[in-house]
Amino acid sequence: MGNFNFKTGKRLGAYALALGLASLAAGLVEILGGYGEMIPSDWFGGYALVVIAATYLNGINDVSKGKYDGLSFLMGGLFLTAIFGVLYLLIIGADGLMYILGEADELPAFVDLRPAIWIFIFSLPLACAVHKLTRRMAW
Amino acid sequence: MIDSTNEEMAVVLAEMRYKAISDLLASVLSKKGGRWTYTDMFDHVFLHKSLGIPIFLALLWAVFQFTFSLSEPFMAMIEIAFGWLGGLAEIGISNPHIASFVSGGIVDGLGSVLVFVPPIFMLFFALSILEDSGYLARAAFVMDRLMYKLGLHGRSFIPMMMGFGCNIPAIMATRSIDNEKDRMITILVNPLISCGARLPVYVLIAGAVFGAKYAGTVIFSMYILGIALAIIMALIFRRTLFKGDPSPFVLELPAYLVPTAKTVIYHMWERGKLFLARAGTIIFGTVIIVWFLSTHPWDATAGGVIIENSYIASLGRFLEPIFSPFGWDWMTAVALLFGFLAKEVVVGTYGILLGVGEETLGESLVGLGLFTPLTGYAFMAFVLIYVPCVATIGIIAKEMHSYKWAAFVMAYLVVLAFLVSGSIIGAGRLLGLS
Repeated sequence: MGNFNFKTGKRLGAYALALGLASLAAGLVEILGGYGEMIPSDWFGGYALVVIAATYLNGINDVSKGKYDGLSFLMGGLFLTAIFGVLYLLIIGADGLMYILGEADELPAFVDLRPAIWIFIFSLPLACAVHKLTRRMAW
Repeated sequence: MIDSTNEEMAVVLAEMRYKAISDLLASVLSKKGGRWTYTDMFDHVFLHKSLGIPIFLALLWAVFQFTFSLSEPFMAMIEIAFGWLGGLAEIGISNPHIASFVSGGIVDGLGSVLVFVPPIFMLFFALSILEDSGYLARAAFVMDRLMYKLGLHGRSFIPMMMGFGCNIPAIMATRSIDNEKDRMITILVNPLISCGARLPVYVLIAGAVFGAKYAGTVIFSMYILGIALAIIMALIFRRTLFKGDPSPFVLELPAYLVPTAKTVIYHMWERGKLFLARAGTIIFGTVIIVWFLSTHPWDATAGGVIIENSYIASLGRFLEPIFSPFGWDWMTAVALLFGFLAKEVVVGTYGILLGVGEETLGESLVGLGLFTPLTGYAFMAFVLIYVPCVATIGIIAKEMHSYKWAAFVMAYLVVLAFLVSGSIIGAGRLLGLS
């Protein structure tokens, strides 16, 4: 297992805080009616983002102190972020397939990249850092 | 303790055994960072007292979003194939009876049902991942806290989760519940858990009246409604028919695993092939009956063209007054009647009655004014609640050793279906919805 200490914890905690706040903001905007084309109105999509935010934010205090309890919340948050990020990417793929089949009017565009996808992309550096710390961990 | 029942003794012994293990571990094991496992880390989050249930609900929503959104292109491919077959039948078969049977019965009827193979397999694929990863056992664990507070048994939740696939194995799985009262309650409420056979109805109606954007969420709400009603009814049964406290729930959680593609696909196939078998037997048989009743008397219906003169229309009009307060017409009455044999038949019946394939079935339902968002949602709730399929009724009678209990299940579910759907319609109309 990698060297998980106070200093590493502070760094991870700061990144998780940013991800948590971004998820919370995007989730609340989705629940409250959306903003433009990039953040559509979606109650349950917003709810999922708020749950992801709560998972990240729950672990920040402990992870900043170098505690494994906090790291577990980061892992949980990263796992959920990946689930929803990949889900929306697959949906874009399905929309593209619908266009090829002639069942949709237009190809998915840049604006179809939902906040959950952006948060997933921005979570990848944190996922790499956490993976380095836990790669020798047993199941 | 000596006066306790055997069951209570077993629970006490199990608790003492776990306490002894815990005390022993505490004296010899010091848990530092290096001793954490992935299972410890994920359980710390997924079994969290505040986050556990919200995470479970979010994952469940992801499952239904995955099921609905990703199956759309595959459904479109099957629709295209059946559309081509229908065209071929109309042109290539000269005998009007056979042409009507192939195009109306097989293509419109059976095709309307088979088009839902992709969402059903995708639902089972996602549930297999949850099960094989070890998460489903955690879901039962986190729900146990809530259920025990309501006076219910935590083990009941596992058959409930199995009910998402099919109610029959779920009811058989209640044999693992030792306490007879807990088991009876679990069987009685299990039909409220939405099985895979109801999914085609949800996908059709939700897609038609709410559009692709909201369909996944609407379908998810049906599953949540089913769970909520099951909990409420279990609570009522606990306080009336089966008084007493639930027995404690001891569950050994397996370690998390990364599911392998082979096992996930195997589990998906094992569950999904039941749907294919039903499609080839009971669904196909019912569709033939519906086609026959909708095209005969042959002369009076002009070969199934004037459906209002058919036997099925007479049957539907006889039943229509029961459902007309909900805004549903005779076609819906007939669809619900044949849905008792197998829920998927509801979709096939609409396909035959409207004489259209699945690709335009949703549009036809809305275009002909058969459903608005309000009446469509109430209809989905009715399909969720009213009598389970005939095979489930049979297994309830077998497991409860009584046809009276099976009749009771049918009766209470019909009453509940009218109450819930009526409440949805009533509340919607109060809010000014049509």
